[in-house]
Amino acid sequence: MRRQIQLNTHISAKYNQELENLKHSVLTMGGVLEQQLVNTLVALKENAPSLAERVALNDSRIDSMESQVEQECMRIIAKRNPTAGDLRLVMTVSKTATDLERIGDEIARVAKLVTKDRIPASDIVLSGMMDIGNRNVAMMRATFDAFARQDDKAAVIAHKLDTQIDKVYKKIIEQTAAEIQSNPQDIAIWMDVLWAIRSFERIGDRCKNICEYVIYLTYGRDLHSSSMKKTVKKLLK
Amino acid sequence: MFKLFEREALSVEEFSKEQTSVDVRHLCVSLNAKKVLNDISIRIPKNKITALIGQSGCGKTTLLNSFNRMNEFISTHEISGEVWIDNRNIYDKRERVSRLRSQIGMVFQRPNPFPMSIYDNVSFGLRIQGEKRRRFLDDSVEKALRNAALWDEVRDRLFESALTLSGGQQQRLMIARALALEPKVLLLDEPTSALDPLTTLYIEELMVALKQQCTLIIVTHNMQQAARVSDYAAFIHKGELIEYSDSDSLFTMPNKQQTEDYITGRYG
Amino acid sequence: MISKLSLLTNKYVRGDYAQQFKQSLLEVLAMLACATILIVLVGIFAFIGVQGGRYFMPMSAYQITTVHTLSNAQDVQGKGTSVPDRSVQKEQIQYTLSHLSAAELASSLQQKLLIQYIAQTQEMPKITVSAADSLYQINTTSGQTLVGKFVSLQEGSKVSQSLANLVVLQSEVARLQQNLSDIQIQRLQSLHRAISELDNKQVARDTPLYQTTLAEFMLWQAHANNIIEQIGSYKINIRLDSGELLSLAINKVQDIYQPNQLSSWQSIGYILNKIVVFISDSPKQASTSGGVFPAIFGTLLMVIIMAIIVTPFGAIAAIYLHEYAPDNRLTTTIRICVSNMAAVPSVVYGVFGLGFFVYVLGGSIDSLLYSDKLPSPTFGAPGLLWASLTMGILTLPVVIVATQEGLSRVPSNLRSGAIALGATKYETIVKVVLPMASPGILTGVILAIARAAGEVAPLILVGAVKFAPTLPIDGEFPFVHLERQFMHLGVFIYDGAFHNQTESQVSSLMFASCMLLLLVVLLLNLSAILLRNKLRNKYERL
Repeated sequence: MRRQIQLNTHISAKYNQELENLKHSVLTMGGVLEQQLVNTLVALKENAPSLAERVALNDSRIDSMESQVEQECMRIIAKRNPTAGDLRLVMTVSKTATDLERIGDEIARVAKLVTKDRIPASDIVLSGMMDIGNRNVAMMRATFDAFARQDDKAAVIAHKLDTQIDKVYKKIIEQTAAEIQSNPQDIAIWMDVLWAIRSFERIGDRCKNICEYVIYLTYGRDLHSSSMKKTVKKLLK
Repeated sequence: MFKLFEREALSVEEFSKEQTSVDVRHLCVSLNAKKVLNDISIRIPKNKITALIGQSGCGKTTLLNSFNRMNEFISTHEISGEVWIDNRNIYDKRERVSRLRSQIGMVFQRPNPFPMSIYDNVSFGLRIQGEKRRRFLDDSVEKALRNAALWDEVRDRLFESALTLSGGQQQRLMIARALALEPKVLLLDEPTSALDPLTTLYIEELMVALKQQCTLIIVTHNMQQAARVSDYAAFIHKGELIEYSDSDSLFTMPNKQQTEDYITGRYG
Repeated sequence: MISKLSLLTNKYVRGDYAQQFKQSLLEVLAMLACATILIVLVGIFAFIGVQGGRYFMPMSAYQITTVHTLSNAQDVQGKGTSVPDRSVQKEQIQYTLSHLSAAELASSLQQKLLIQYIAQTQEMPKITVSAADSLYQINTTSGQTLVGKFVSLQEGSKVSQSLANLVVLQSEVARLQQNLSDIQIQRLQSLHRAISELDNKQVARDTPLYQTTLAEFMLWQAHANNIIEQIGSYKINIRLDSGELLSLAINKVQDIYQPNQLSSWQSIGYILNKIVVFISDSPKQASTSGGVFPAIFGTLLMVIIMAIIVTPFGAIAAIYLHEYAPDNRLTTTIRICVSNMAAVPSVVYGVFGLGFFVYVLGGSIDSLLYSDKLPSPTFGAPGLLWASLTMGILTLPVVIVATQEGLSRVPSNLRSGAIALGATKYETIVKVVLPMASPGILTGVILAIARAAGEVAPLILVGAVKFAPTLPIDGEFPFVHLERQFMHLGVFIYDGAFHNQTESQVSSLMFASCMLLLLVVLLLNLSAILLRNKLRNKYERL
């Protein structure tokens, strides 16, 4: 059953505000992350280590945000005893915050590639990385959009974006493997590059998780459960 | 560091004199020759809601009653220590008890409207003070009822018996009756224990709104309620103040094991 | 297995049955008890109602003819000669009024005779009872009832045989009486006053002014006497059952009618008239006829004065005991004493009232304020004030206990509510507690009033009398005479029942008074209960 959560209808005005703030905190985090990813891609493209440095430093800020969100979730659970939709929202926010923090870590890993001057020499690989990075930005936008509007259809569509990312990832891995074969002496650099590519793929997966949380928020069920398959099909039509 | 959420809670040790509303110093109370409160010292902040929690018979109601000297009305008593409200020790010999009580509002567990009209109930305190000006009484009644979020429901039947109101309305009437005297401190003794959950939430919301005007001190058995409404919370056990802090920390990270056991429902 | 099961069920059923039987037995017993109480109550009311109601019913006139057959057997024995079948028959005629039918009356008389002549049945007189339709019943203004045959109307020397002239004569008498009272009020009174003024001024008797005034007074006095004589000359003659001719002045006749020939409308009129007389008239003929108005008035006045005295006293005492008195042994003792006061026999209060109020208090008031009238007592004798005070003391515990009950019913959280709003204890009691306890106080007053209205023994001692010539309230200064003796319904009944146990007419008056007393108490209770319920609705919906 589909339920839209109405945040501003509690008797307690303060509770309304607290839930609203909680949701906004996730979106704030998302916005920061999006900026981080864009900055990383720019740094990667233009080989700008100072920009990449800033991204890496910013990661600690995201870590602190995550812990603040977690604390707030705990506080709300302790003081307000949220139930049903409110409880799902708080749990979703808590899990989303964890995923966002991981995304932040992945982005920092990519940024370190630039700071450590280990940008792949191959144009094919680099352009592939730019491609997958841009797809990640698009998916993150779609995901946060779905989260902000609690839009189940948008979430399912965003969820599907990951398959493209996975395909691109496989292609880049193949291309990179070919490059490594041609330049086996730079294996240390290539390892970092492989990790970075892997990070891009992980960002997609994390976004996918968040999309699943959004679905869970509206339906109270896992996206993969058998009862959801029909719903998903209907939404995609 | 970047802050996502605004928290204004001062720690309980940090209150300045201006921020303190009720200052209890080494209060000991014995009722009917039985020690009920033992050396309680607590500073209750102005314009905040402070909850007193603890088991039945732990002395929290006695503590509340000692803020307007109701203990003296109830039974034989022995009180030592000081309670300072507005730079006055209310246990001073020169203090006039009835005047003190008129300045400190109190709302009881069960709504106890007098068998009079709604208007007469709200204006009771003022009339006791000798107030006779009709217009002043009218204005005060309206203001008090508005503050208690009851005006819209009873404006057309101010002169009907207060007993015709529902339970929640009666309890709000009791709050209005106390507010009519414009008290600096409002004491609430389990104000919602006789009400249904939804009405309870309305009363709680009202309490939060009333923070602007006065200091609220609430005794409650309902842990959820204490967590929901209070800014500060004090845990009292067997007449001793075990822990007193802002309720965010008390309900998420209590300092004392006893407190943790009580609020998590582990008490033997 | 099955048999065992059936045995079990059987046992269960039997047990169940016994249980049910026990229960239904209990129910039946309870219902029986209730029914008995109900029947007794209804019986009391019905008995008093029927007996008392008879007083208002018109009676029939009967002629009782008693034939004594005096055999001269004694003569025979004495003289030795026998004259058989020679008996002297003596006939006696008696007119009577009765509620019974002719046959019933005859049989009741017969039974009386049977007892009287139990040894000499052959000498028992024969009785015949016949309805005497031609008889007239005359009720005089002094309360007497006469039965007799109409003979004639007399107007001075003029005699007429027809009763139809009565109306004319009555109006003539009324006119004369009006004249008489006009003369008395307009002339004689002013003249009398003038003479006494002259006397006061010590004007000599032989002055012309005095002489003319006196002459005028004498003239009018003679005129009045003349009229009185004239009135006296209008007479009605009736023949009584003894054969005696009675002539009665017409102005003494209240009404005259033939009881056996009343139409149903006239009967109703008779009943209503009798009821009105009963309620509004004073007793006549030594409390055998007339009404009981002074007794009703005295009862109500006594009860009202008592309520005025006892309500504040009882309420204040109860408030002190319940709200202020420290919770110690002395208070408990006092409470127990108050409860026990209600069980003290009322005659003890009467003796106390006589001894303390009348002799000690009244005596000292007399010696202080009315010493000029001594030795004739003013307050030093039984009177209304002392009766009210005695009844007040008698009913004080009732009021105190009921008020305490009412006070303890006020929820304590209302008190703390008022206290917490800055009210002092006094303000709390006056503004919150007392209004809520008022139904309780009222209950006490109801009980007190009911008790005082029905009490007899103490009242006989402290002021109630069987006949009081004046009401305690009249037009004479100071209008309310608390020192006067008064009449009381209970005492009236007691006295009447005690002194006239045999005469049926009188005892039916007593029953009528009983009915009235019941009605008065019922009415007082009912009104107070209604008031109390109204207050309860107002205050006790918590």
